[in-house]
Amino acid sequence: MAAITTGRRAAHQPVKKKEPKLAKRTKRLSRSTSGTVALFAFLFVFGIFTSLPIILTVNRAFMPLDELFLFPPRFFVRNPTTSNFSDLFIIMQESWVPFSRYFLNSIIITGFGTLGHLIFASMAAYPLAKNTFPFKDALFAIVVLALMFSPVVTGIPNFLIISALGINNTYLAVILPAFAAPIGMYLMKQFMEQIPDSLIESARLDGGSEFFIWRKIVMPNVKPAWLTLIILQFQALWATTGGVFLRSEELKPLSFAMNQVALGGVARAGANAAVIFIMMAVPVTFFVFSQSRIIETMATSGMKD
Amino acid sequence: MKAKAGRKGLTLRNRELVWGLIFISPWLIGVIFFFLFNLIQSVVFSFNNLIIDQVHGGFDLHWVGLRHYHDIFFIDGNFVRELFESVGFMLLNVPLIIFFSLFMAILLNRAFMGRGLVRAIFFLPVIMATSAIEGSLELIMGIVMGGVSSVPDDVMRAQQGFDAQSIAMMLSQFGIPMQVVEYIIEAIAMLHSVIRAGGVQILIFLAALQAIPPSMYEVAQIEGATGYEAFWKITIPMVSPLILTNVIYTIVDTFVQSDVVATARATAFQNVYVLEGVRGFDFGRGSAMAVVSSLLACLVLMVVGWAISKYVFYYN
Repeated sequence: MAAITTGRRAAHQPVKKKEPKLAKRTKRLSRSTSGTVALFAFLFVFGIFTSLPIILTVNRAFMPLDELFLFPPRFFVRNPTTSNFSDLFIIMQESWVPFSRYFLNSIIITGFGTLGHLIFASMAAYPLAKNTFPFKDALFAIVVLALMFSPVVTGIPNFLIISALGINNTYLAVILPAFAAPIGMYLMKQFMEQIPDSLIESARLDGGSEFFIWRKIVMPNVKPAWLTLIILQFQALWATTGGVFLRSEELKPLSFAMNQVALGGVARAGANAAVIFIMMAVPVTFFVFSQSRIIETMATSGMKD
Repeated sequence: MKAKAGRKGLTLRNRELVWGLIFISPWLIGVIFFFLFNLIQSVVFSFNNLIIDQVHGGFDLHWVGLRHYHDIFFIDGNFVRELFESVGFMLLNVPLIIFFSLFMAILLNRAFMGRGLVRAIFFLPVIMATSAIEGSLELIMGIVMGGVSSVPDDVMRAQQGFDAQSIAMMLSQFGIPMQVVEYIIEAIAMLHSVIRAGGVQILIFLAALQAIPPSMYEVAQIEGATGYEAFWKITIPMVSPLILTNVIYTIVDTFVQSDVVATARATAFQNVYVLEGVRGFDFGRGSAMAVVSSLLACLVLMVVGWAISKYVFYYN
């Protein structure tokens, strides 16, 4: 309220501030028009360049074979066809594991891995961000160390522990490590520290249990954070081929099968174009969907100081 | 504060501790099993020679003490140089990536038509960095650049991923003059490698920007702050904790993708060609390399993190 009255007073008695500047300000906080145009020109040019691969991919996925091998090549498809996709399905029918099974495997691994990671990481992040907790800093140092070290040379130790747990060659061998990935906890903690303490305190005073506070107060307030997190985790798990942990063919994810098709070389150029389209379309769709959910976030969360 | 917290008879502090443990434990157990165990085991391996038993399966460990560490520092001619090159490259790249991704995030956070799609485009490099997609794109590159006749497999495989260079090469095949193409390469190769490394950071910054209450900008506007002032007094302090997050993420990410890590991994898993001929893979030595380089990277991380955290603003 105080802010509004001072603003009015300034408008009525122009002592220090100039009128025209105020009129311009009522539009929005933004820079000059030419600056905006320049920025968007930059965004446009850069965006075009970055999107070249996807434009190419989409077009090639629908090109008939003769256009695929045309030289000089074309960017845009002339006679769109879906024959590449039917080729891909014919190739996949020859394998004894059907396409749908690979797809299901990918969905299981990506779905459970992402969901579990989100739940466990954000549950762990809440007390680390908002409660007093002994060894908090030590725990955190371990996380960072793990973050740094985990992808380097852990092949054999990783295999040992997965085998010792008896989950080798099951979905769990890929899903369980994804649950505990340190990056998610780290990200969630940083965002949760931004939530005002008073918001959580007031919920505690009103008798909300810790679980209730986490579920109903903390999580809605960091929605942009966890929507970002599921994008990252979804992308990482969608790309995984299962490595040495998924040896049975019927457990392998789609990315493994698609990799095999791509290794077929020139003879499978058509099917290959369809492969990239499918492998790209799923994460891109997921990305666009979850990004569109982020926008509504701040409108719902209220905090009156 | 000092009073007992009612029903359970626990003090507030203890209650927080118990709840904290309940919340943390599922994740912590996972970290201990899948990350901490790896770390400890690798340190143990780095003091041993690991010999795989080809007949019965399994492996034997032979204690060699600090020999691997001695070897990589004093006998291996490349490791130390590679280590410092990697860290130097990391220190150069991190600020570039951070500034660029913050800039992009601020641009992408403004309201305009098709914003979701544009964001997706800037996240594409991250999506494309997967093996299936990269393999397929390489095949496409091969076909586009030479027609069927000139695409032997090894030529295609020699292509490392789908980078700015190959896009530009492709443009020249589409009939755009070579001078123009070269200029584009120069200008964009740098940016492209930065955006390739910065896709995730852009997303994190976007989330940070969206977490700033709009009422703050409203107040600033009413009080007569310019956009410039609002940026420095509101945007920067409010995203500063996430600048720290992103710096740490970027350091870890560049480190994981650096040459020294690739060398450590190759030493551990592949046959290495040395002067005397082929040397089999040496897991102990690879582990020692990993331990040394991780420690140095952690040191960098601690110094940089400490320096930045002094400027981080927390809302509470």
